[in-house]
Amino acid sequence: MSKRAMSVLATVLLVATFSLSNPLNAADREHKVVLQISDGSPEKQTLVLNVANNLQEFYGVDKVKIEIVAFGPGLQLLFKNNANKDRIGGLVGRGVQFSACQITIKGMTKALGYPPAINPQAVQVDRGVVRILDLSAQGYTLVQP
Amino acid sequence: MKIIKRTALAMACAGAMTVVANTAQAANWLMLQGTEPEGAAKPVNVWGFIQADYQADNSTPRVSNQGLVPPKLIGPNLTSQAAFNVSRARIGVRGIAMPLDDKVNYFLLIEAGNNAANYYSSTSTSTNSSVVKATDASITLNHAPLARVRVGLFKYPGAEEGLQAIQVFDYINFTEVTNQLLLERFPNRSYTSNIADCNPTTTTSCNLNGFDRPVGAFRDVGVQVFGSTMVGEWDASYAAMIGNGNGLNFSDVDAHHDLYLYVSAEKVFGGEGPFREGLKLFAWSQSGKRNFDGDASGAFETYDRDRSGIGMKYLKKPWRFTTEHMTGKGMIWNGPDKPSWALITGGNPDSSDSGLKAKGKGWYVDGGYYIPNTSWQLDLRYDYYSRLDDSLYQLDWKTWTVGAQYHINKKTRVAFNYATRDINAKNFATGAGPNANLDGIKDRYGIQLTAIF
Repeated sequence: MSKRAMSVLATVLLVATFSLSNPLNAADREHKVVLQISDGSPEKQTLVLNVANNLQEFYGVDKVKIEIVAFGPGLQLLFKNNANKDRIGGLVGRGVQFSACQITIKGMTKALGYPPAINPQAVQVDRGVVRILDLSAQGYTLVQP
Repeated sequence: MKIIKRTALAMACAGAMTVVANTAQAANWLMLQGTEPEGAAKPVNVWGFIQADYQADNSTPRVSNQGLVPPKLIGPNLTSQAAFNVSRARIGVRGIAMPLDDKVNYFLLIEAGNNAANYYSSTSTSTNSSVVKATDASITLNHAPLARVRVGLFKYPGAEEGLQAIQVFDYINFTEVTNQLLLERFPNRSYTSNIADCNPTTTTSCNLNGFDRPVGAFRDVGVQVFGSTMVGEWDASYAAMIGNGNGLNFSDVDAHHDLYLYVSAEKVFGGEGPFREGLKLFAWSQSGKRNFDGDASGAFETYDRDRSGIGMKYLKKPWRFTTEHMTGKGMIWNGPDKPSWALITGGNPDSSDSGLKAKGKGWYVDGGYYIPNTSWQLDLRYDYYSRLDDSLYQLDWKTWTVGAQYHINKKTRVAFNYATRDINAKNFATGAGPNANLDGIKDRYGIQLTAIF
């Protein structure tokens, strides 16, 4: 066998070995997504929930990790009696984490004169923006619908 | 760090939903019209709708004098038998009174179209015109979810046709039982004798609409306590309201108040808001008193005005089915078979053609079929109304209405209705008594375009 043929064969064998030892392709690897909601409009609330739902439908519940971080006016999504609480409960049941910014809670407490009742299924984080940056550093893709 | 911000793909995949109203659904109208969604409401939500239509009536005038009566004419003007109209042009604003605190809601709606709610005769000029008028102005306090409080001018809890949002109503016109028994006309304060039937298309002095106040429009000014809760799969609701009993007018003209009671239970199949599918059972009552100079003595007497009804509504596409039965006692409007706004003739409250103490009853059955995979829907309704029930002057109103609707988009639709009418004073021969005018009542058809924004 010529040197040229040997070189081609070696490359082919190397690629095949790599492919067989790394069975996960783009469609199979786990995706990590952080969804930001900082707008209190009903349309934006519906949109972010729809995006979370669509991601799980497309990739499969086990193939995508989703966290929704709410801060600013967007925290209204995580008010205890929000009209979307049943949908939120459904997504929590499928592994989605909802994070509520405590700085925003403090600000709303000041504006309202009392602390807003937050959905008990939400996780309170110190600062919503910092949480997003931390997740991004962990490889999460930030999506701002 | 990868950021995907408002991509077209995200928007397309998310399929952002906006709150739209399609056509009549088995919805909880108490909650939809009185409250805002918790945590998901805008401080200011401007909205409205326009309904433009053309209607034509094939009725014939009375043989003896070529006179016409209101059922043969297109309302509210009652000046022709065929007309284009802007039946409703409403703009409103609703929302939460303070951002972040959605316990206080408000609702304001103004009518700038042309219908009996804002078309009437001026007492000073005696000329008819349509005015811009508030039809709703209310505040709701939601601090106790099972005992919410709504105050102001708004729809009282009652019959389905009156309570539901008119912009999603499946027909151009109400049933006769709703139109005559429930949609309250307020007679002019000073007694006036009947107007002889006449032909407004040929006679300049013929004015068959001499009301100096608007119809009640299923509304009152008052205070309502209401609530709704899920009990298993059932959405149970109640409402109790006290009002002036003076419709769209902001004042109380007597010392009496009307009491409105309402209960409903709906087994929810799915969906939400105006799109909700389910089986709804409901019952309601209304009791009040009215002052009226029934004997032309120059002094008011007091008459009862009681109404009640029970019904059900089923919606699970492609089918819809609704039925409701209603009864009434007192202040039965007896005008439309005579060319008069008055409740009685001759100044005798106890006369056999007097509606002051009379009874009325009626019912309707409505069906709808939403043709799958199309934007079309078909509607069919039969309604019966017995006015001055069990009296010499009992009139039986029987109407079939066939309809078709095409949904141009989620907020715009066109409806076509054809109604065949059979109205008869059963205790009189053909052409005698009230039948002299009623015999000529024929079919009516119309086309209406509705755009919600």
